[in-house]
Amino acid sequence: MVEMNLNRRQFLKLSGAAAATLAIVELGFDEKNVYAKTKEFKIAKTKVTPTICCYCGVGCGILVHTKNNTVVYTEGDPDNPINEGKLCSKGTTIRQLYTSKKRLTKPLYRAPGSKKWEEKDWEWMLDTIAKRVKETRDASFIEKEEGITVNKTEKIASLGGAALDNEETYLLAKLMRGLGVVYLEHQARI
Amino acid sequence: MTKYVKYVDVTKCDGCRACMVACKNWNDLPAEHTDFLGSAQSHPKVTADTWNVLQYIEHENGKGDLEYLFRHSSCFHCTEAACEKVCPEDAISHTKFGTVVIDQDKCVGCGYCVQNCPFEVISLKEYKDKNGKTYRKSQKCTMCTDRIEEGLQPACVTTCHTGAMEFGEKEAMIKKAEQRVKEIKDRYPNARVYNPQGVGGTHTIYVLAEKPSVYGLPENPKVPTSAILWKDYAQPIGKAMIGATTMAVVGAFVTNKFFSKRAEKAEQEDGGESHE
Repeated sequence: MVEMNLNRRQFLKLSGAAAATLAIVELGFDEKNVYAKTKEFKIAKTKVTPTICCYCGVGCGILVHTKNNTVVYTEGDPDNPINEGKLCSKGTTIRQLYTSKKRLTKPLYRAPGSKKWEEKDWEWMLDTIAKRVKETRDASFIEKEEGITVNKTEKIASLGGAALDNEETYLLAKLMRGLGVVYLEHQARI
Repeated sequence: MTKYVKYVDVTKCDGCRACMVACKNWNDLPAEHTDFLGSAQSHPKVTADTWNVLQYIEHENGKGDLEYLFRHSSCFHCTEAACEKVCPEDAISHTKFGTVVIDQDKCVGCGYCVQNCPFEVISLKEYKDKNGKTYRKSQKCTMCTDRIEEGLQPACVTTCHTGAMEFGEKEAMIKKAEQRVKEIKDRYPNARVYNPQGVGGTHTIYVLAEKPSVYGLPENPKVPTSAILWKDYAQPIGKAMIGATTMAVVGAFVTNKFFSKRAEKAEQEDGGESHE
């Protein structure tokens, strides 16, 4: 047996310390609670920006929580009178519009007849679109049909999206009518 | 402390699955690859990465009509939780709100909770540490306890647009459920409140349109007897035994010391080699 010279006082001290340790570990000290306090709430230090859902025509309000230059969470905006904080399954996924690996960050161009997409800058893209719209429109413009003035082109179609607001829709319709587009449609009618 | 309950009225659910996505969104859970199941249901059941699943049940009612029944299915947060009882690491506990949570640091991935859950809503997830070694942890719905602590409601409840889900004080929610059952009895004669007493009541209560078995729920779920035996008897006895053993060792040491001292003394007296 290991020799251990304990007198009565030392023995009491030791057993007292052991009992106190056991009491703390087993009963008194709730380490779970203490640990929980050290974890930070997911949206505690985020910047909140209200936005409108880009998917359907309902136009639900969404709060976007951003931190460290990325979107960490999105939730229905409780102050928005349209959805009062609620969201559908699609609107709830809106964070992925920004965070998804599949997200396109540069315009892609596929030349007529080509199998490949190539990256282009916005400058080139917008100029090319404008140029070709003008070309197509001028080449296909019909002024008169069966003696009636029509001023139309049937070679261009426009499809609007539900995410467009009133003003954007107005501008789009104005531009398209100006070009003589007759196939002027909207996604919400599909 | 007031106990809180998630109230789910399946008859108001329109099956939009926003609760499923909201759960993934708040808890940062990854998407899972799923196969077509022959119905509109997306996942067969709750998994470690999908804490709630919307059931789509095609049910033929007594009149020969097809009823399309939906149910938001996730952890029930039982008052007497089998998972908590069987956990050998005390990793599963009740919060002050009545919700049942898993301490990820304590969980060793033994899977006892998965085997004993009467509702099959806990699952193990496999992880790889930096050395490439795999380890497992139990995962399930937390009822967004972190949100409740900050005065918010669970993510699934917050997003529900039909009012099929509500979150509130236990008594009020039970009353609401009973009232709702009365309202829908004409259309659903088998409607009932599902708040099984075999597990001491749950913190997710349902207004079901049909018998629980139609939804694949146990009619009278219970904490397995083996779990009660393990936690309430075997474990305390085991702990007591450790205590008793410790005391016995200390006792033996002291007595041994005491007797050997006496023997020494006797020896000294006998031998007469005293230096006194």
